[in-house]
Amino acid sequence: MTRPDDNGAFLEALLFIAERPLSTAEIADLAGVPTVQAEASLAALGEDLDEDGRGLRLQHLDDAWQLVTAPEVGARLAAYAAREEARLSTAAMEALAVVAYRQPCTRSEVERVRGVDSDYVIRSLLHRRLIVETGRRDTPGRPILFGTTFTFLERFGLTSLEDLPPLSSEAAAATALATMAEQGDAGDGG
Amino acid sequence: MNLQPIPIEPEVAPAATGFELQLDVFSGPLDLLLHLIESRQLDVLTVPLAEMADAYVTHLTSHPVAPAQLADFVAIAAQLILLKSRRVLPGEPPPALGGTEDEPDEDELRRRLIEYRALRDAARELAGRDGERPSFRREPRESDLPEAPTDPLPPALLAEALDRLAAIPEPVPPPPEVVKREVTIAMQIAALRTAMAGRGRVVLQQVLAACQSRTQVTVTVLAMLELVRRREATVQQDELFGPILVEAIGEARVT
Repeated sequence: MTRPDDNGAFLEALLFIAERPLSTAEIADLAGVPTVQAEASLAALGEDLDEDGRGLRLQHLDDAWQLVTAPEVGARLAAYAAREEARLSTAAMEALAVVAYRQPCTRSEVERVRGVDSDYVIRSLLHRRLIVETGRRDTPGRPILFGTTFTFLERFGLTSLEDLPPLSSEAAAATALATMAEQGDAGDGG
Repeated sequence: MNLQPIPIEPEVAPAATGFELQLDVFSGPLDLLLHLIESRQLDVLTVPLAEMADAYVTHLTSHPVAPAQLADFVAIAAQLILLKSRRVLPGEPPPALGGTEDEPDEDELRRRLIEYRALRDAARELAGRDGERPSFRREPRESDLPEAPTDPLPPALLAEALDRLAAIPEPVPPPPEVVKREVTIAMQIAALRTAMAGRGRVVLQQVLAACQSRTQVTVTVLAMLELVRRREATVQQDELFGPILVEAIGEARVT
Protein backbone atom coordinates (compact mmCIF):
# COMPACT_ATOMS: atom_id res chain seq x y z
CA MET A 1 0.00 0.00 0.00
CA THR A 2 1.39 3.34 -1.01
CA ARG A 3 0.84 6.72 0.55
CA PRO A 4 1.69 10.01 -1.15
CA ASP A 5 2.60 11.56 2.21
CA ASP A 6 2.39 11.03 5.95
CA ASN A 7 -1.00 12.70 6.14
CA GLY A 8 -2.91 9.49 5.45
CA ALA A 9 -2.61 8.22 9.01
CA PHE A 10 -3.49 11.61 10.45
CA LEU A 11 -6.54 12.01 8.21
CA GLU A 12 -7.74 8.50 9.00
CA ALA A 13 -7.44 9.19 12.73
CA LEU A 14 -9.06 12.60 12.43
CA LEU A 15 -12.06 11.23 10.55
CA PHE A 16 -12.28 8.36 13.05
CA ILE A 17 -12.81 10.70 16.00
CA ALA A 18 -15.00 13.18 14.12
CA GLU A 19 -18.65 12.85 15.11
CA ARG A 20 -19.85 14.69 11.99
CA PRO A 21 -18.75 14.97 8.35
CA LEU A 22 -15.77 17.35 7.95
CA SER A 23 -15.26 19.71 5.05
CA THR A 24 -12.09 19.62 2.94
CA ALA A 25 -11.18 23.09 4.21
CA GLU A 26 -11.51 22.04 7.87
CA ILE A 27 -9.43 18.94 7.27
CA ALA A 28 -6.74 20.89 5.39
CA ASP A 29 -6.65 23.44 8.18
CA LEU A 30 -6.23 20.78 10.88
CA ALA A 31 -3.62 18.90 8.83
CA GLY A 32 -1.77 22.14 8.10
CA VAL A 33 -1.63 21.52 4.35
CA PRO A 34 -3.14 23.28 1.32
CA THR A 35 -6.68 22.23 0.39
CA VAL A 36 -5.54 20.68 -2.89
CA GLN A 37 -3.07 18.46 -1.05
CA ALA A 38 -5.63 17.46 1.56
CA GLU A 39 -8.02 16.50 -1.21
CA ALA A 40 -5.39 14.31 -2.89
CA SER A 41 -4.53 12.66 0.43
CA LEU A 42 -8.20 12.03 1.18
CA ALA A 43 -8.71 10.48 -2.24
CA ALA A 44 -5.65 8.25 -1.67
CA LEU A 45 -6.96 7.24 1.76
CA GLY A 46 -10.33 6.34 0.27
CA GLU A 47 -8.69 4.20 -2.40
CA ASP A 48 -6.46 2.46 0.15
CA LEU A 49 -9.40 1.56 2.38
CA ASP A 50 -11.29 0.24 -0.61
CA GLU A 51 -8.46 -1.70 -2.26
CA ASP A 52 -7.22 -3.26 0.96
CA GLY A 53 -10.72 -4.47 1.79
CA ARG A 54 -10.65 -2.79 5.17
CA GLY A 55 -13.61 -2.55 7.53
CA LEU A 56 -14.01 1.16 6.93
CA ARG A 57 -14.71 3.30 3.88
CA LEU A 58 -14.39 7.00 3.19
CA GLN A 59 -17.68 8.61 2.15
CA HIS A 60 -17.62 11.78 0.10
CA LEU A 61 -20.56 14.11 -0.52
CA ASP A 62 -20.23 17.58 -2.01
CA ASP A 63 -17.32 19.00 -0.05
CA ALA A 64 -17.63 16.82 3.06
CA TRP A 65 -16.02 13.56 4.15
CA GLN A 66 -16.85 10.93 6.75
CA LEU A 67 -15.50 7.57 7.75
CA VAL A 68 -18.14 4.81 7.72
CA THR A 69 -18.20 1.02 7.97
CA ALA A 70 -17.71 -0.96 4.78
CA PRO A 71 -20.95 -2.06 3.09
CA GLU A 72 -19.59 -5.62 2.90
CA VAL A 73 -19.84 -5.98 6.66
CA GLY A 74 -22.99 -3.85 6.99
CA ALA A 75 -25.43 -6.75 7.15
CA ARG A 76 -23.46 -8.41 9.98
CA LEU A 77 -23.02 -5.12 11.81
CA ALA A 78 -26.76 -4.56 11.73
CA ALA A 79 -27.07 -7.01 14.63
CA TYR A 80 -25.24 -4.43 16.75
CA ALA A 81 -26.05 -1.14 15.06
CA ALA A 82 -29.53 -2.13 13.90
CA ARG A 83 -31.61 0.67 12.47
CA GLU A 84 -35.09 -0.54 11.77
CA GLU A 85 -35.98 1.26 8.57
CA ALA A 86 -39.37 0.92 6.97
CA ARG A 87 -38.98 -0.11 3.34
CA LEU A 88 -39.57 2.60 0.79
CA SER A 89 -42.59 2.34 -1.48
CA THR A 90 -42.09 1.98 -5.24
CA ALA A 91 -43.22 5.58 -5.69
CA ALA A 92 -40.76 6.83 -3.05
CA MET A 93 -37.92 4.80 -4.61
CA GLU A 94 -38.68 6.32 -8.02
CA ALA A 95 -38.69 9.86 -6.65
CA LEU A 96 -35.48 9.15 -4.74
CA ALA A 97 -33.84 7.79 -7.90
CA VAL A 98 -34.79 10.90 -9.87
CA VAL A 99 -33.33 13.15 -7.17
CA ALA A 100 -30.19 11.00 -6.85
CA TYR A 101 -29.44 10.99 -10.59
CA ARG A 102 -30.63 14.51 -11.42
CA GLN A 103 -29.58 16.47 -8.37
CA PRO A 104 -30.00 19.22 -7.71
CA CYS A 105 -33.56 19.00 -9.01
CA THR A 106 -37.00 20.37 -8.25
CA ARG A 107 -40.23 18.64 -7.34
CA SER A 108 -41.73 19.44 -10.74
CA GLU A 109 -38.78 17.72 -12.45
CA VAL A 110 -39.50 14.60 -10.37
CA GLU A 111 -43.14 14.84 -11.37
CA ARG A 112 -42.30 15.32 -15.04
CA VAL A 113 -40.18 12.15 -15.11
CA ARG A 114 -42.66 10.08 -13.08
CA GLY A 115 -45.71 11.54 -14.82
CA VAL A 116 -47.58 11.80 -11.54
CA ASP A 117 -47.97 14.12 -8.54
CA SER A 118 -45.03 13.52 -6.18
CA ASP A 119 -45.60 16.03 -3.39
CA TYR A 120 -46.29 13.38 -0.76
CA VAL A 121 -43.35 11.12 -1.60
CA ILE A 122 -40.95 14.08 -1.66
CA ARG A 123 -42.11 15.05 1.79
CA SER A 124 -41.67 11.50 3.07
CA LEU A 125 -38.10 11.42 1.66
CA LEU A 126 -37.37 14.74 3.38
CA HIS A 127 -38.79 13.37 6.62
CA ARG A 128 -36.50 10.32 6.40
CA ARG A 129 -33.57 12.66 5.72
CA LEU A 130 -32.74 10.83 2.49
CA ILE A 131 -32.96 14.16 0.66
CA VAL A 132 -32.56 17.78 1.75
CA GLU A 133 -33.19 21.19 0.32
CA THR A 134 -29.97 22.34 -1.27
CA GLY A 135 -31.11 25.76 -2.48
CA ARG A 136 -33.44 27.44 -4.90
CA ARG A 137 -33.38 27.52 -8.67
CA ASP A 138 -33.02 30.98 -10.12
CA THR A 139 -36.16 30.73 -12.25
CA PRO A 140 -39.62 32.23 -11.79
CA GLY A 141 -41.14 30.98 -8.55
CA ARG A 142 -37.65 30.14 -7.26
CA PRO A 143 -38.49 26.43 -6.85
CA ILE A 144 -36.74 24.44 -4.10
CA LEU A 145 -33.85 22.25 -5.21
CA PHE A 146 -33.34 18.84 -3.61
CA GLY A 147 -30.25 16.66 -3.27
CA THR A 148 -29.38 13.39 -1.53
CA THR A 149 -27.69 13.16 1.87
CA PHE A 150 -25.07 11.15 3.73
CA THR A 151 -28.01 9.20 5.18
CA PHE A 152 -28.84 8.17 1.59
CA LEU A 153 -25.23 7.05 0.93
CA GLU A 154 -25.16 5.11 4.21
CA ARG A 155 -28.48 3.38 3.67
CA PHE A 156 -27.55 2.20 0.19
CA GLY A 157 -23.90 1.47 0.99
CA LEU A 158 -22.45 3.98 -1.50
CA THR A 159 -19.15 5.79 -0.95
CA SER A 160 -20.13 8.69 -3.20
CA LEU A 161 -22.62 9.59 -5.92
CA GLU A 162 -20.19 8.21 -8.50
CA ASP A 163 -21.00 4.83 -6.93
CA LEU A 164 -24.60 4.98 -8.18
CA PRO A 165 -25.39 2.21 -10.67
CA PRO A 166 -25.10 3.70 -14.17
CA LEU A 167 -28.28 4.48 -16.06
CA SER A 168 -28.87 2.59 -19.30
CA SER A 169 -27.48 4.21 -22.46
CA GLU A 170 -30.88 5.19 -23.88
CA ALA A 171 -31.47 6.90 -20.61
CA ALA A 172 -28.24 8.82 -20.98
CA ALA A 173 -29.46 10.00 -24.38
CA ALA A 174 -32.86 10.89 -22.98
CA THR A 175 -31.22 12.66 -20.07
CA ALA A 176 -29.10 14.69 -22.46
CA LEU A 177 -32.23 15.58 -24.44
CA ALA A 178 -34.02 16.57 -21.27
CA THR A 179 -31.11 18.75 -20.20
CA MET A 180 -31.12 20.47 -23.56
CA ALA A 181 -34.87 21.00 -23.33
CA GLU A 182 -34.47 22.40 -19.82
CA GLN A 183 -31.84 24.83 -20.90
CA GLY A 184 -34.05 25.96 -23.76
CA ASP A 185 -37.01 26.49 -21.45
CA ALA A 186 -35.87 27.57 -18.05
CA GLY A 187 -39.40 28.01 -16.70
CA ASP A 188 -40.32 25.78 -13.82
CA GLY A 189 -43.66 25.38 -12.12
CA GLY A 190 -42.13 24.14 -8.82
CA MET B 1 -62.87 1.93 -29.97
CA ASN B 2 -65.10 1.07 -27.08
CA LEU B 3 -64.75 3.81 -24.50
CA GLN B 4 -66.26 2.96 -21.16
CA PRO B 5 -66.77 5.78 -18.70
CA ILE B 6 -63.93 5.79 -16.23
CA PRO B 7 -65.18 5.33 -12.70
CA ILE B 8 -64.27 8.25 -10.49
CA GLU B 9 -64.63 6.37 -7.22
CA PRO B 10 -63.34 2.83 -6.75
CA GLU B 11 -66.34 0.54 -7.02
CA VAL B 12 -66.86 -1.62 -4.00
CA ALA B 13 -68.77 -4.83 -4.50
CA PRO B 14 -71.68 -5.20 -2.08
CA ALA B 15 -70.18 -8.40 -0.71
CA ALA B 16 -66.84 -6.74 0.00
CA THR B 17 -65.87 -7.01 3.62
CA GLY B 18 -64.21 -3.76 4.64
CA PHE B 19 -61.44 -3.22 2.12
CA GLU B 20 -59.87 -4.84 -0.89
CA LEU B 21 -56.18 -5.39 -1.44
CA GLN B 22 -55.00 -4.33 -4.85
CA LEU B 23 -51.71 -5.96 -5.73
CA ASP B 24 -50.89 -4.65 -9.19
CA VAL B 25 -50.67 -1.01 -8.18
CA PHE B 26 -48.84 1.19 -10.63
CA SER B 27 -46.80 4.06 -9.32
CA GLY B 28 -47.92 6.36 -12.13
CA PRO B 29 -49.37 6.50 -15.65
CA LEU B 30 -45.96 5.95 -17.29
CA ASP B 31 -45.44 2.89 -15.07
CA LEU B 32 -48.77 1.48 -16.30
CA LEU B 33 -48.10 2.27 -19.97
CA LEU B 34 -44.62 0.76 -19.80
CA HIS B 35 -46.00 -2.34 -18.09
CA LEU B 36 -48.58 -2.78 -20.88
CA ILE B 37 -45.85 -2.50 -23.53
CA GLU B 38 -43.40 -4.81 -21.77
CA SER B 39 -46.01 -7.42 -20.85
CA ARG B 40 -46.71 -7.77 -24.59
CA GLN B 41 -42.99 -8.09 -25.22
CA LEU B 42 -43.02 -5.03 -27.46
CA ASP B 43 -40.08 -2.67 -27.83
CA VAL B 44 -40.68 0.74 -26.32
CA LEU B 45 -38.35 2.21 -28.97
CA THR B 46 -40.50 1.09 -31.90
CA VAL B 47 -44.03 0.22 -30.78
CA PRO B 48 -46.66 2.61 -32.21
CA LEU B 49 -47.92 4.12 -28.95
CA ALA B 50 -51.36 4.70 -30.49
CA GLU B 51 -51.82 0.91 -30.42
CA MET B 52 -51.60 0.96 -26.66
CA ALA B 53 -54.62 3.25 -26.27
CA ASP B 54 -57.21 0.47 -25.99
CA ALA B 55 -55.19 -1.58 -23.53
CA TYR B 56 -54.45 1.47 -21.41
CA VAL B 57 -58.05 2.65 -21.28
CA THR B 58 -59.33 -0.89 -20.66
CA HIS B 59 -56.93 -1.27 -17.77
CA LEU B 60 -57.86 2.10 -16.35
CA THR B 61 -61.54 1.17 -16.57
CA SER B 62 -61.13 -2.09 -14.71
CA HIS B 63 -58.51 -0.94 -12.19
CA PRO B 64 -59.58 2.36 -10.66
CA VAL B 65 -56.74 4.55 -9.46
CA ALA B 66 -56.68 6.79 -6.43
CA PRO B 67 -58.69 9.97 -7.04
CA ALA B 68 -55.60 12.09 -6.31
CA GLN B 69 -53.73 10.51 -9.23
CA LEU B 70 -56.65 10.08 -11.60
CA ALA B 71 -55.95 13.30 -13.50
CA ASP B 72 -52.38 12.22 -14.29
CA PHE B 73 -53.59 8.81 -15.53
CA VAL B 74 -56.35 10.37 -17.63
CA ALA B 75 -53.92 12.88 -19.16
CA ILE B 76 -51.88 10.03 -20.65
CA ALA B 77 -55.08 8.25 -21.74
CA ALA B 78 -56.13 11.40 -23.58
CA GLN B 79 -52.76 11.60 -25.36
CA LEU B 80 -52.97 7.94 -26.44
CA ILE B 81 -56.53 8.34 -27.70
CA LEU B 82 -55.57 11.42 -29.72
CA LEU B 83 -52.56 9.59 -31.21
CA LYS B 84 -54.84 6.71 -32.14
CA SER B 85 -57.51 8.95 -33.63
CA ARG B 86 -54.89 10.56 -35.87
CA ARG B 87 -53.85 7.15 -37.16
CA VAL B 88 -57.42 6.11 -37.79
CA LEU B 89 -58.41 9.25 -39.69
CA PRO B 90 -57.20 9.26 -43.29
CA GLY B 91 -55.33 12.13 -44.86
CA GLU B 92 -52.88 14.66 -43.59
CA PRO B 93 -52.63 15.12 -39.86
CA PRO B 94 -54.27 18.36 -38.78
CA PRO B 95 -51.83 21.23 -38.31
CA ALA B 96 -50.70 21.72 -34.74
CA LEU B 97 -52.76 24.37 -33.04
CA GLY B 98 -50.22 27.11 -32.75
CA GLY B 99 -47.63 24.59 -31.58
CA THR B 100 -48.94 24.54 -28.03
CA GLU B 101 -47.08 22.49 -25.47
CA ASP B 102 -50.19 20.49 -24.70
CA GLU B 103 -50.24 19.07 -28.23
CA PRO B 104 -49.38 15.41 -27.70
CA ASP B 105 -46.50 14.21 -29.76
CA GLU B 106 -45.62 10.54 -30.09
CA ASP B 107 -41.87 11.18 -30.03
CA GLU B 108 -42.18 13.25 -26.90
CA LEU B 109 -44.23 10.59 -25.13
CA ARG B 110 -41.78 7.89 -26.24
CA ARG B 111 -38.86 9.94 -24.98
CA ARG B 112 -40.59 10.32 -21.62
CA LEU B 113 -41.18 6.56 -21.48
CA ILE B 114 -37.52 5.82 -22.20
CA GLU B 115 -36.41 8.33 -19.61
CA TYR B 116 -38.90 6.99 -17.09
CA ARG B 117 -37.84 3.39 -17.78
CA ALA B 118 -34.20 4.17 -17.06
CA LEU B 119 -35.01 5.82 -13.75
CA ARG B 120 -37.53 3.13 -12.84
CA ASP B 121 -34.88 0.45 -13.46
CA ALA B 122 -32.34 2.43 -11.42
CA ALA B 123 -34.94 2.76 -8.65
CA ARG B 124 -35.49 -1.00 -8.71
CA GLU B 125 -31.77 -1.67 -8.52
CA LEU B 126 -31.41 0.78 -5.65
CA ALA B 127 -34.43 -0.77 -3.90
CA GLY B 128 -32.64 -4.12 -4.09
CA ARG B 129 -29.74 -2.58 -2.23
CA ASP B 130 -31.93 -0.80 0.31
CA GLY B 131 -30.49 -1.67 3.69
CA GLU B 132 -28.79 -4.80 2.28
CA ARG B 133 -25.25 -3.48 2.62
CA PRO B 134 -25.56 -0.39 4.76
CA SER B 135 -22.70 1.70 6.04
CA PHE B 136 -22.71 2.94 9.59
CA ARG B 137 -21.15 6.13 10.80
CA ARG B 138 -19.85 6.83 14.26
CA GLU B 139 -22.68 8.16 16.41
CA PRO B 140 -21.77 10.99 18.75
CA ARG B 141 -21.61 9.56 22.25
CA GLU B 142 -21.92 11.26 25.59
CA SER B 143 -18.16 11.62 25.91
CA ASP B 144 -18.27 13.79 22.77
CA LEU B 145 -20.32 16.38 24.60
CA PRO B 146 -18.45 19.15 26.41
CA GLU B 147 -18.02 18.33 30.07
CA ALA B 148 -19.89 20.28 32.69
CA PRO B 149 -17.76 22.48 34.98
CA THR B 150 -16.68 20.41 37.94
CA ASP B 151 -16.11 23.19 40.50
CA PRO B 152 -19.03 23.49 42.92
CA LEU B 153 -21.07 26.61 42.33
CA PRO B 154 -21.42 29.13 45.17
CA PRO B 155 -24.94 29.04 46.67
CA ALA B 156 -24.99 32.84 46.50
CA LEU B 157 -25.45 32.49 42.70
CA LEU B 158 -28.83 30.91 43.30
CA ALA B 159 -29.97 33.77 45.52
CA GLU B 160 -28.76 36.28 42.93
CA ALA B 161 -30.65 34.43 40.20
CA LEU B 162 -33.82 34.56 42.30
CA ASP B 163 -33.36 38.31 42.78
CA ARG B 164 -33.01 38.81 39.04
CA LEU B 165 -36.11 36.70 38.45
CA ALA B 166 -38.11 38.83 40.87
CA ALA B 167 -36.94 41.95 39.07
CA ILE B 168 -38.31 40.79 35.75
CA PRO B 169 -41.62 42.60 35.19
CA GLU B 170 -44.75 40.75 34.38
CA PRO B 171 -45.26 40.50 30.65
CA VAL B 172 -47.72 43.08 29.36
CA PRO B 173 -50.81 41.30 28.09
CA PRO B 174 -51.22 41.71 24.34
CA PRO B 175 -53.94 44.15 23.28
CA PRO B 176 -57.21 42.45 22.45
CA GLU B 177 -57.69 41.79 18.79
CA VAL B 178 -59.87 44.43 17.28
CA VAL B 179 -62.21 43.31 14.57
CA LYS B 180 -64.27 45.88 12.74
CA ARG B 181 -67.86 44.96 13.21
CA GLU B 182 -69.59 46.19 10.13
CA VAL B 183 -72.58 43.89 10.22
CA THR B 184 -74.06 41.50 12.78
CA ILE B 185 -76.19 38.40 12.53
CA ALA B 186 -78.93 40.22 14.48
CA MET B 187 -78.94 42.99 11.87
CA GLN B 188 -79.27 40.52 9.04
CA ILE B 189 -81.98 38.56 10.86
CA ALA B 190 -83.90 41.83 11.05
CA ALA B 191 -83.24 42.41 7.34
CA LEU B 192 -84.51 38.93 6.47
CA ARG B 193 -87.62 39.42 8.62
CA THR B 194 -88.31 42.70 6.87
CA ALA B 195 -87.86 41.05 3.48
CA MET B 196 -90.30 38.29 4.45
CA ALA B 197 -92.77 40.68 6.03
CA GLY B 198 -95.06 41.05 3.03
CA ARG B 199 -95.62 37.59 1.59
CA GLY B 200 -94.06 35.62 4.39
CA ARG B 201 -91.24 34.43 2.19
CA VAL B 202 -88.36 35.70 0.15
CA VAL B 203 -85.78 34.36 -2.29
CA LEU B 204 -82.43 34.53 -0.48
CA GLN B 205 -80.54 35.52 -3.62
CA GLN B 206 -82.57 38.74 -3.81
CA VAL B 207 -81.43 39.67 -0.30
CA LEU B 208 -77.85 38.74 -1.13
CA ALA B 209 -77.90 40.84 -4.28
CA ALA B 210 -78.47 43.91 -2.12
CA CYS B 211 -75.46 43.11 0.08
CA GLN B 212 -72.59 45.59 0.06
CA SER B 213 -69.70 43.29 0.95
CA ARG B 214 -68.62 39.69 1.04
CA THR B 215 -68.81 39.80 4.84
CA GLN B 216 -72.41 40.94 4.63
CA VAL B 217 -73.23 38.05 2.27
CA THR B 218 -71.64 35.58 4.69
CA VAL B 219 -73.45 37.03 7.70
CA THR B 220 -76.76 37.05 5.83
CA VAL B 221 -76.41 33.33 5.09
CA LEU B 222 -75.53 32.73 8.76
CA ALA B 223 -78.59 34.78 9.75
CA MET B 224 -80.74 32.58 7.52
CA LEU B 225 -79.35 29.48 9.22
CA GLU B 226 -80.00 31.05 12.61
CA LEU B 227 -83.67 31.62 11.67
CA VAL B 228 -83.93 27.97 10.64
CA ARG B 229 -82.34 26.92 13.93
CA ARG B 230 -84.83 29.00 15.87
CA ARG B 231 -87.60 27.40 13.80
CA GLU B 232 -88.71 30.80 12.59
CA ALA B 233 -88.23 29.89 8.95
CA THR B 234 -87.84 26.97 6.60
CA VAL B 235 -85.51 26.89 3.63
CA GLN B 236 -86.09 25.15 0.36
CA GLN B 237 -83.99 24.81 -2.77
CA ASP B 238 -85.41 22.68 -5.57
CA GLU B 239 -82.34 22.38 -7.73
CA LEU B 240 -78.59 22.84 -7.48
CA PHE B 241 -77.70 26.56 -7.62
CA GLY B 242 -81.42 27.29 -7.90
CA PRO B 243 -83.26 29.93 -5.92
CA ILE B 244 -83.26 29.44 -2.15
CA LEU B 245 -86.71 30.10 -0.80
CA VAL B 246 -86.83 31.28 2.82
CA GLU B 247 -90.30 31.00 4.30
CA ALA B 248 -91.41 32.25 7.70
CA ILE B 249 -93.34 29.83 9.89
CA GLY B 250 -95.71 30.13 12.85
CA GLU B 251 -96.09 33.41 14.64
CA ALA B 252 -92.92 34.70 13.02
CA ARG B 253 -95.13 35.07 9.96
CA VAL B 254 -97.27 37.61 11.74
CA THR B 255 -94.43 40.06 12.38
